[in-house]
Amino acid sequence: MLKEKLQKFFKIDRRWIFLLLAVVLFAPIIKPIGLPNKTISRDVQHAFDYIDKLPAGSFVLFSLDYDPATRPELHPQAVAMVRHAFKKNLRVGVVTYIAGSTGLIGQIFATVPAEYKKVNGSDYVIFPYMANAVAVMTQMASDFYGIYDKDQDGRDARTLPVMQGIKNYKNIAMIVSITGTSMLDYWVAYVGDKFSVPVVGGVTAISQPGYGPYLQTGQLKGLIGGMKGAAEYESLIKEPGKGTSGIDSLNLAHLLVLALILTSNIILLIIKYL
Amino acid sequence: MKLIKKQIPLAIVFFFGVLTLASYYVPHKVSVDFMEMMNKWENIVSAFAFFLGLISLFYSHYHKISRKADGWGYSLFVYIGFFAMVVPAILCHGKLMGAAGQTALGWSFSFMYNPLSATMFAVLAFYIVSTAYRSFRIKSLQAFVLFMAAFLLILGKVPLGQIIWDSVLGWTGAGVDQVIEWIMGVPAVAGKRGIMIGIAIGAIVTSFKIIFGIERQYMGKD
Amino acid sequence: MSETWMIAGAWIAAGLTVFLFSFLYKDNPFFKIAEHLYLGAGMGWWFQVYVYNILGPKVWTPLVNHDWMVLIPAILGLSLVTQFVPKISWVSRYGFTFLMGYGSGLAIPAGLSTDFISQIGGTIRPLSMMASMTPWAIFNSLLVAFGVICVLFYFFFSVEHKGHFKKVSNIGVYFLMIYFGAAFGNTVMARFSLLYGRFDDLYTFSASKYLYATQIILAGMIIYFAIHGLMNRGKKQAEAVN
Repeated sequence: MLKEKLQKFFKIDRRWIFLLLAVVLFAPIIKPIGLPNKTISRDVQHAFDYIDKLPAGSFVLFSLDYDPATRPELHPQAVAMVRHAFKKNLRVGVVTYIAGSTGLIGQIFATVPAEYKKVNGSDYVIFPYMANAVAVMTQMASDFYGIYDKDQDGRDARTLPVMQGIKNYKNIAMIVSITGTSMLDYWVAYVGDKFSVPVVGGVTAISQPGYGPYLQTGQLKGLIGGMKGAAEYESLIKEPGKGTSGIDSLNLAHLLVLALILTSNIILLIIKYL
Repeated sequence: MKLIKKQIPLAIVFFFGVLTLASYYVPHKVSVDFMEMMNKWENIVSAFAFFLGLISLFYSHYHKISRKADGWGYSLFVYIGFFAMVVPAILCHGKLMGAAGQTALGWSFSFMYNPLSATMFAVLAFYIVSTAYRSFRIKSLQAFVLFMAAFLLILGKVPLGQIIWDSVLGWTGAGVDQVIEWIMGVPAVAGKRGIMIGIAIGAIVTSFKIIFGIERQYMGKD
Repeated sequence: MSETWMIAGAWIAAGLTVFLFSFLYKDNPFFKIAEHLYLGAGMGWWFQVYVYNILGPKVWTPLVNHDWMVLIPAILGLSLVTQFVPKISWVSRYGFTFLMGYGSGLAIPAGLSTDFISQIGGTIRPLSMMASMTPWAIFNSLLVAFGVICVLFYFFFSVEHKGHFKKVSNIGVYFLMIYFGAAFGNTVMARFSLLYGRFDDLYTFSASKYLYATQIILAGMIIYFAIHGLMNRGKKQAEAVN
């Protein structure tokens, strides 16, 4: 009798599980639980320290390559790191190799620079989208302007104040690659390793474990992984944003998955040995 | 005919393959300039590659509409979606932001493309949960090891999980975040590095096969 | 952007989001419409990006300035399109072989140095610095080295896996399992983050300044499913009577 009941429970219509997840994830958005992220992982701390130590005026190249599909994880990372760079008065250049990200980059720079009184052209510059990242990356090693002769608004890149003294990778202090694709691998392989430019990454939680080897060898100076990484970075620069509120909402959903895996396995054990 | 259909293309792949490979190791100005030109070329050629996808999508939906195949009405929405992005783009020359704030293209991006694309991927969260419930079976020691690694990561990534860990296993003196860091930094690195080295060998061998014309499936049949 | 446009945008975004989610309950026409719009809008977005960022500045502008060199890649690129004409589809080989040659030439040195030599170096190097390491760090680097060797044994298919060879490759499987487990754990977090992003937007659009877009659309969907369900039941009953 119990066995049949359990079997029935195990084969529950999956839409109930869908509903459960929706409730568990939506409820904290309406009423936050109030358990923000507290720990800082080593790789995020390293990324933060690396940018933090750069002298003011250094040129940091941001490669923002993510589209709306990975926006909730990567956008908060990008916002936090751009904020950090502006806070430290670094020069910011933005490139992208994913067509979908141009719109998201626009969203960041529509609001963030104004908070720090930064001006397009003299404190930061956004370059147009380019297809084929590897080709462009290799090109920038000899002459940055061979590919990026104009900025996104069509201005001559060479004459922009923000680009003064920038010719190739030798003049770039570091590269920040925030991406939901394998773009970070390219930056490591074609630029970091070959031209010894420090590379820091921001990736989705899915691809985070894959970068362990690069971190261990020092091919990557630091890594921000997923929404947790974003929340950690936000707490390091003391500017809570979407990463911080996101982690709060994920609390219950994470426990739900664990509970479901355990429940189904326990049910099957009981059915087997009853 | 064989010459222009087969031998010249194979010569092209060999020529560009070997020169690109060599210029990685040759720090001379000639090789740098050559790479500069190749990079520009590649950039342009791969932009055209996109049109292949576009044409084939349009063609298949045009076919559906013209034959009035099952559900042909939906195919119309492919074109509606396309023009909903392209027409505003033409009106504001591909700019998302103008002097007066968001342009029409910016609007289409924020309120059409963004929600559609993001939701498509967000739906997977539901399936991962139902799969976790139905198919995550801890039947062997190997599966148990996989489960433990996943369990610790899922638990330790959220503050509530950290609180639970501290109240149950706090006496060990190790926080769950430290355990995760160790997993990610030691055994997972070993696993991933083995995969990486394996893939690298495979990729290098395949690339050589392509350059020397041994692997030519991408050329299609003739 | 005027307020009306913002509200219209919120309604469209909330609507498309809810339509796509509605598939979780049941396949329906609203989902299909949103799905097809996604295909088209994605293509449209990429199209304008290519036109305004590459074809315009990299092909058209140089041609206007009589820089004829760009004709070569442009023709190679155009050759790809002959794919669709079976009779002359071989022309596309010129474009493809260029892409493949260039790509392979780049992949070899990068793969060799980044994913092969650097990785072997990263495994061995800590072992040479043992004198200055803590016992725990020494243990960890030995474990990584041991694990990598076991995993490589597992992937080595040229020899039949038996005896000691099998034992070593079996240990390799455990390292792989830990990696896959970690990857799964992270995947869960990543997918939930994306869902959170959508829910967060839906919550934003539920505000009164967007005229309760989320609530009204959600209610509309529920009513649709209810009516649809009732009508189907009616049909079935009618069929049963007949």
